[in-house]
Amino acid sequence: MLEQLLIFTRGGLILWTCKEIGNALKGSPIDTLIRSCLLEERSGEVSFNYGAYTLKWTFHNDLGLVFVAVYQKILQLLYVDDLLSIVKQSFSEMYDPKRMRYDDFDETFRQLRVEAEARAEEMKRTKQVAKPLNGVKKQGQVSKEETKKSNGEKKDDGDKVSVLSNGNHKMEDDVANGKENSADNNINSVGVDVSKLAKLRSKGVRGRGGLRKADSLGSNKGSSKVEPPKKATKKNRVWDDAAAAPKQEEKLDFTDENGDNGHVDVVAAADQGESMMDKEEVFSSDSESEDDDDDEPRSDEKPEAKKKGWFSSVFQSITGKANLERTDLEPALKALKERLMTKNVAEEIAEKLCESVEASLEGKKLASFTRISSTVQGAMEDALIRILTPRRSIDIMRDVHAAKEQRRPYVVVFVGVNGVGKSTNLAKVAYWLQQHKVSVMMAACDTFRSGAVEQLRTHARRLQIPIFEKGYEKDPAVVAKEAIQEATRNGSDVVLVDTAGRMQDNEPLMRALSKLINLNKPDLVLFVGEALVGNDAVDQLSKFNQKLSDLSTSGNTRLIDGILLTKFDTIDDKVGAALSMVYISGAPVMFVGCGQSYTDLKKLNVKAIVKTLLK
Amino acid sequence: MENLEDLKMMAEQWSNQGIEYLQKIPQDQLYAAVGVLLFTTVLLLLSIRLVRRTKSNTVLLSGLSGSGKTVLFYQLRDGSSHQGTVTSMEPNEGTFVLHSENAKKGKVKPVHLVDVPGHSRLRPKLEEFLPQAAAIVFVVDALEFLPNCRAASEYLYDILTNANVVKKKIPVLLCCNKTDKLTAHTKEFIRKQMEKEIEKLRASRSAVSTADIANDYTIGIEGEVFSFSHCCNKVTVAEASGLNGETVQVQDFIREYIKP
Repeated sequence: MLEQLLIFTRGGLILWTCKEIGNALKGSPIDTLIRSCLLEERSGEVSFNYGAYTLKWTFHNDLGLVFVAVYQKILQLLYVDDLLSIVKQSFSEMYDPKRMRYDDFDETFRQLRVEAEARAEEMKRTKQVAKPLNGVKKQGQVSKEETKKSNGEKKDDGDKVSVLSNGNHKMEDDVANGKENSADNNINSVGVDVSKLAKLRSKGVRGRGGLRKADSLGSNKGSSKVEPPKKATKKNRVWDDAAAAPKQEEKLDFTDENGDNGHVDVVAAADQGESMMDKEEVFSSDSESEDDDDDEPRSDEKPEAKKKGWFSSVFQSITGKANLERTDLEPALKALKERLMTKNVAEEIAEKLCESVEASLEGKKLASFTRISSTVQGAMEDALIRILTPRRSIDIMRDVHAAKEQRRPYVVVFVGVNGVGKSTNLAKVAYWLQQHKVSVMMAACDTFRSGAVEQLRTHARRLQIPIFEKGYEKDPAVVAKEAIQEATRNGSDVVLVDTAGRMQDNEPLMRALSKLINLNKPDLVLFVGEALVGNDAVDQLSKFNQKLSDLSTSGNTRLIDGILLTKFDTIDDKVGAALSMVYISGAPVMFVGCGQSYTDLKKLNVKAIVKTLLK
Repeated sequence: MENLEDLKMMAEQWSNQGIEYLQKIPQDQLYAAVGVLLFTTVLLLLSIRLVRRTKSNTVLLSGLSGSGKTVLFYQLRDGSSHQGTVTSMEPNEGTFVLHSENAKKGKVKPVHLVDVPGHSRLRPKLEEFLPQAAAIVFVVDALEFLPNCRAASEYLYDILTNANVVKKKIPVLLCCNKTDKLTAHTKEFIRKQMEKEIEKLRASRSAVSTADIANDYTIGIEGEVFSFSHCCNKVTVAEASGLNGETVQVQDFIREYIKP
């Protein structure tokens, strides 16, 4: 049964709640919905789960109202979408900005609910009748998909809808919307699983587990030999030569026991001036108003359709069309999505963003003398600023001082895939902290890659800060633990822990990382990602977060707390990776690495990035 | 005497010449010229009148998410918080006479009250309203003060160091909300805690760099522990209870700065 149905304004005032279902909700699902879904620009999603409840919502953008329905997760109520849309329609008829109480709506709501439930019952009954018919057809569909490898996912869904509608021919649907919605939901809930299966199969080589991965890496002969590494200790990682004897490993390990090799070059302390973190960001302030005229010549790709669209939109803008419909928003949103994708925003993220903006603009009245494209652009700009603005304060200095008061070092762990620049940027952060009179210590927990420890050692010598190292082939988690103990002993304020790069699909390595984080409980888990990454950013971050939460032992799971964006100087204006990463993980971008010297570390300038994305 | 007469004659001559000249110009042109002159002078006067800074009557309600701003907004406007509130996604604005003053006779200047959402993602909205603010009410949750103390003090620090606030010396009221509950802290305690936290922030933020892009100005006096009296704009503390409707101190503050 429906637990609660709320109507509130976007400004936060509750206008109406259903009084006959007087159940108090456990926790605060509405607030959580707003904070973690609607304000995170995920309003294009279908539903939101919180504890034992599922929440569904709809907007009335013109009046600025939000309608939310809460029900038990285990129940699969079909009529909720239908009910929400009818409630929206009837409430907006009686809405008056001056009125605060709407007690007369109780009666209307009761009626609407009864009707919606009745319709749902009927549909369920007719579906059961049509089930045998569907069953046969569906099997046929399934086998077709398996061979097709889910290329035409949308097409298959379309086939299924047509099958169902054939079965339900005789049904009268008063609200076409509602029926299709709930029917679609049902189809999708079955269809998605099948298509997901086919997708996994089509992924082929990139299956689950490191086993498959090793296979694809060209070691055709030694595939069976990869089995042993799955033990707890990360032993010899055999790449090409299966016959690589352990002795060879020792030969390859050139770490000098004494530290230096004969002559010691006394490296002068690196002082390259002020880190760019502290410099004011000077960027040319172009005209703030979006040059609409530039949009027109840029539409060379599709001249005819675009021209007609532009003219009609100008006409509409002057006459002031009543309400924005999905069909009106689609071309503008599509153009915007293309533009975002050319700026290296991951495709999935651009799609979700456009859906969210669509949800927030549908039904809104177009102000006179504004074009649809400019309205959409404005809404998208707001959305982007909202996403990129951090959810919590990213003042590291403050955190460091707080940890200092508690007499313990502030521990930062740098994680990321291979080759993104963890060690380089670790040195940059150390330089910046040092400039602010914070004592730093490095911990070399990359015990796998040859030269990693030497690299950090060189940085430490140049910056003249202590480094804790234990050589290679040691357990990184233990090294980190000892480093933190050492830091507590000698009073360092911050410990920067460098880890080995690892692919997000590599199960044993992710487990090792999770163990490091669980054992040492760092204050900040910084994900280092490069700005050159494309759609893989989404995969990287989501898998990292997933593995960290799956494999966490203690109560509070530590996820990625912040992002360090590197190689920012190599991209000119394709800054989309920042957006993809922030959207998918919710973590703020704390630093931006923009070069290879110590001073090349900046803060993220939200307005500049948004402007570049929408240019 | 002769000079005077000469001057008189010269003046007469000139005026005759002038009248002749005027009469030479066709009538329509003359009227048109006079009309345009009048029009431009009128326009100039009007624009000067408008541009001259009329005293703003905007009061901002800011604070962390969940501190009770929207409830306070509706209390000040309607005298009741209706059926409750949820986290605001958009600002609530209204120009009205405060509810308790509805009964007052005479000309009471309406107040433009703006309730800015406290959620950190919507922080940029505050900057849109700061330029037109005449006074700021910073609402703090007196009940759940200690867990949020740091975030609240950071927000307040950002407001106090904002260029608009410093230059125009906008007065700030630190309003401790939810004082109707038993375990709510006192305003003195809250004031001291905020001063302590802001002192720590001062140390960490304006440490070495001269160009601190995070904040426009620094506050307080160098070498002394921060206190609200060091700010160039006036910072006062008050108590309120949004749910119960005890908003007298807030109203007094508003009235003090939005003079009728």
